[in-house]
Amino acid sequence: METLLATFVSGLVLAALYALMASGLSLIWTTIGVFNFAHGALMMVGAFVAWTVSEVGGFGLWPGLIAGVATTTVLGVIIEYLLIRPFYGQRNMVLITVMTTLAAMIILEKSAQIIWGARLKQLPRMIEGDISISGAVISAHEALIVVLAPLILIALWQFTNRTPVGRSLRAVGQNQEAAALLGINVPLTFALAFGLGAALAGLTGVLLGGIRFITPSLGSEPLIKAMIVVIFGGLGSLGATVGAALVIGMAEAFLVLTLGLYWTPFAIFLGLIAVLVLRPNGLFGRS
Amino acid sequence: MSILRIEGIGGGYGSVTVLRDITLTLETGENLGLFGPNGHGKTTLLRMTSGLMRPSSGTIQFDGRDITGASPSKIVTSGLVHTQQGNTLFGDMGVAETLEMAAFTKRARAGATARLEKVYALFPRLAERRKQKTRTLSGGERQMLSIGSALMCAPRLLVLDEPTLGLSPRLKEELTEALIEISNSVPLMVVEQDVELLLAVTDRQVLVEHGEIVREITATNTPDHAEIVAMYFGAQA
Amino acid sequence: MDWKLAAGLGVLLILPFFVTDSYTRHLFILAFVYAILASNWDLSLGYAGLFNFGHIAFFATGVYTAAIAAKTLGVSPMLTIPLGGATAALTALIVAAPVARLKGIYVVLVTFAFSQVLLQLILSQSHITGGAEGMVRIPALQIGDYKFIRDFKFGYYYVALGLLVLSTFYLLWLTRSPFGKSLLALRDNEEYAGARGISIMRARVLALVASAIFPGMAGSFFAIYLRVASPEVLGFGTLSLVLSMVLIGGIATITGPIFAAFAIFFATETLAGTRGMEEFRFIIVAVAMILVLRFAPGGLARILQVFQFKKNRVL
Repeated sequence: METLLATFVSGLVLAALYALMASGLSLIWTTIGVFNFAHGALMMVGAFVAWTVSEVGGFGLWPGLIAGVATTTVLGVIIEYLLIRPFYGQRNMVLITVMTTLAAMIILEKSAQIIWGARLKQLPRMIEGDISISGAVISAHEALIVVLAPLILIALWQFTNRTPVGRSLRAVGQNQEAAALLGINVPLTFALAFGLGAALAGLTGVLLGGIRFITPSLGSEPLIKAMIVVIFGGLGSLGATVGAALVIGMAEAFLVLTLGLYWTPFAIFLGLIAVLVLRPNGLFGRS
Repeated sequence: MSILRIEGIGGGYGSVTVLRDITLTLETGENLGLFGPNGHGKTTLLRMTSGLMRPSSGTIQFDGRDITGASPSKIVTSGLVHTQQGNTLFGDMGVAETLEMAAFTKRARAGATARLEKVYALFPRLAERRKQKTRTLSGGERQMLSIGSALMCAPRLLVLDEPTLGLSPRLKEELTEALIEISNSVPLMVVEQDVELLLAVTDRQVLVEHGEIVREITATNTPDHAEIVAMYFGAQA
Repeated sequence: MDWKLAAGLGVLLILPFFVTDSYTRHLFILAFVYAILASNWDLSLGYAGLFNFGHIAFFATGVYTAAIAAKTLGVSPMLTIPLGGATAALTALIVAAPVARLKGIYVVLVTFAFSQVLLQLILSQSHITGGAEGMVRIPALQIGDYKFIRDFKFGYYYVALGLLVLSTFYLLWLTRSPFGKSLLALRDNEEYAGARGISIMRARVLALVASAIFPGMAGSFFAIYLRVASPEVLGFGTLSLVLSMVLIGGIATITGPIFAAFAIFFATETLAGTRGMEEFRFIIVAVAMILVLRFAPGGLARILQVFQFKKNRVL
């Protein structure tokens, strides 16, 4: 019973992390139709900048968080302007931007290597200490992520469903011409979506920096996890992404318990390919 | 004073010329109809007017200001609103959500609530389906939503591309009445195959053929109507 | 164009007699391997228009086939090279099953996910594959009494060059055959090609399998030559480096990616020796890749063709 509860709690932590990792990727995909391979690298940059400001600069964690998110937001807008915008309307735009964002990933990772070096770094935790939930022990930082993730996602949902600008993001994602004819500035919306997606990546990176070592390749695994979640959910809505994050987080926690640490990623990838082949629009997607 | 002045517009897609030298003026207080065979440049003309396409020659003035080559969002902001043919709008958005969002520009946002009421009064079907997703609407309802969204943009000139395409006769009639009512407050420029509707809604009609205006019909040369109708809509009319 | 290939081949054939230091020979051997990887990827990416992001998985299959066969099972290292080609073709057949039905971004995602599956399999089966540490001390190549390990890489050079020459002839023959033409027809207009009786699924499966054979053999050679097998080959680094060779060289040209592989490999190796450039060289390659996509989508091969065309017109 206690193992089950502990597994459930660790599944919840994973689900929260995965939902955060995937939300920005999903937002950019649904609005612009670009699969951003630099998403993980943006998380890494967010973590490094936060570390520099809070640890090297000595300004503390919150200014670090703000600096990290601000940097990735600006980088996101720059990536959109230089690497995405020139290819709008091309026949193979989706595939070309896969390659340009892959190049962006390399540029960001190697730059980080040059700037910060390969030595491991870590951010202090937002909250110190551990929390015990009837036997299952997680760090307070992880507990904070579990609480924070739904709040951030709800805020994002409120933004895209209740505010005019947020709604315009969805409108552009569904029908660019019709959106333009309502007076929505489509290029500006693209930049906004990319900036917002990159901001979410930066925020996720800062949160990750408190539980993992920050290295130039910090973003590789989260990028793949975000991809899995977005694909499982179907390249569609935010709700589907959150649902998929829950399914995968829980599945991973319980698979580790039953199959062991080594077979779990293998099983998840096989499941992913099965989903892609049998239901190309995802578990929660609509054809 | 003329609200829209199109002078010597030409252009097309890549090396394919669709429009050659079209000149048109829409005077304040009149409604203009465009008709003619399919594929002869009517839709292209509207796309250039609303900024979706850039003409390769000529100028377009709206309300005395040059809008040639301006972005669609700028043109909508200035009050020229275009509803596309067979517009599928935003499949995953609800009716009310679409209409609320459609009042996007600053100018449109002022008085949006009152305008929303007017749209619902004009199209009671939309009011009944406020929560419904656009993808589940019928073709006619979608057309109403499309026109309703355009009205939410606070248009000073409404440009409609084949509003009754594929609609049942009963729906056509409903829509015609709505358009007549709209034309009382907003000038219209309508492309339409259904000549009855065009005659009912607009004051003056031009015939577009091979990317040129080849004929103009006004109230003073009415006798030509039957002739033109026979020429181009024989089967339909 | 063919006389240029012949001239290049001539130079490469006599090169080891003039270049005697084993380090330079080593660089050439690695360049040959990269050229095989890039030009075969061009078959699926450029000709078939298949965005196969699992191309490196074929190479990795060859690497581990050779490592396991030669070290664990005691197969003669020479035999592991064709064996690697066979297992890579089999791997391609497995990937092709789902990919043949998918389109656009889904092809990228499935093939990429597949290479990740392979990576996880290698990591999880550490008793067979050595896990994250990989495998070392793989038996070296030996034919009769001739030991490749003692000749300052003279023999390895010719084995690698031989593989590249075979692979290039194979690719040039394939792309000029009716099959190659049907691939191009399919890439440029799926519906039209379908209407002409070209089976999309069959063509895609064949293209993927055909593009896997030589990378698999190159992988086996790579493992036997370096005497190590490491899961690192499946990382983003290798993927983007080889992709840049295909794109910069010019897709659907076969020879373009081969020349680009040489140019990029030697450029990055030269920069690796320059202080401060160890990481920066990859940034340069990534930027070059973006610039080519933006300003010369046909790659450098197309630019050279245009240049030649203009020259002829003046004459």
